[in-house]
Amino acid sequence: MRQSDKTRKDGEGGIGRRQFFRALGGGTAAAAAAVASVPLTPTEAQAYDPGNAETRSRYRETDHVKAFYRTNGYETLKK
Amino acid sequence: MARMKFLCDADRCIECNACVTACKNEHEVPWGINRRRVITLNDGKPGERSVSMACMHCTDAPCAAVCPVNCFYTTADAVVLHSKDLCIGCGYCFYACPFGAPQYPRVGNFGSRGKMDKCTYCSGGPEPDLSVAEYEKYGSNRLAEGKLPLCAEMCSTKSLLAGDGEMIAQIYKERVIKRGYGSGAWGWKTAYRETIAI
Repeated sequence: MRQSDKTRKDGEGGIGRRQFFRALGGGTAAAAAAVASVPLTPTEAQAYDPGNAETRSRYRETDHVKAFYRTNGYETLKK
Repeated sequence: MARMKFLCDADRCIECNACVTACKNEHEVPWGINRRRVITLNDGKPGERSVSMACMHCTDAPCAAVCPVNCFYTTADAVVLHSKDLCIGCGYCFYACPFGAPQYPRVGNFGSRGKMDKCTYCSGGPEPDLSVAEYEKYGSNRLAEGKLPLCAEMCSTKSLLAGDGEMIAQIYKERVIKRGYGSGAWGWKTAYRETIAI
């Protein structure tokens, strides 16, 4: 028997090429069946929540701001 | 609760671009982009008007509606801000915005834009107030300092008004009553031509 024929046949004590692919095919089919049987559960999309600290009001009617309003209304608003 | 608004009295704007320069300097806005611009209508013709434009901090902001990563949020002052940590630079907000406010500082390979940058109404971003991280990403936070946007405070002709919407509306109404006419640059007749009945 030639060396190439030896390698094609099942080795002693090991798994042969045909058995290997047969086992591999069976395993893949079983895995695919397992995946197909699990229902798809999409994860919930999370919107960005900036939090209260970021969205709190920063505007204050300081003397600086009052001066701005006053100077912009010099011509028209009553002093 | 006060609602922050911009209002440009176009009859007073002389197109000096001080608001643009002040904004760029205050926030160290990168080369090539402006958060605020002065638009001139009928340039060089009788009836020429200029109007200073930036983000108008819309109540129902279209930029926020189209953002795929939801990086926009509205503060209690009705200022529309965004998180540059979340922004992916897709450019949808630029196409959605009727004022052309969103800008992109970097143009990379294959059309990548970098993080969007826009007017923050001088009120920073999601980082802690007046922090270095906030300044680097969004510029100064004048609202937290008890001030108003610098563009309006710098306006030499008092054309650009900023602050509590009710207060600046009152100032503008008084001006219109005194001079007898409104703006020639914006309003229903500008948007829908002279034929519209108001």
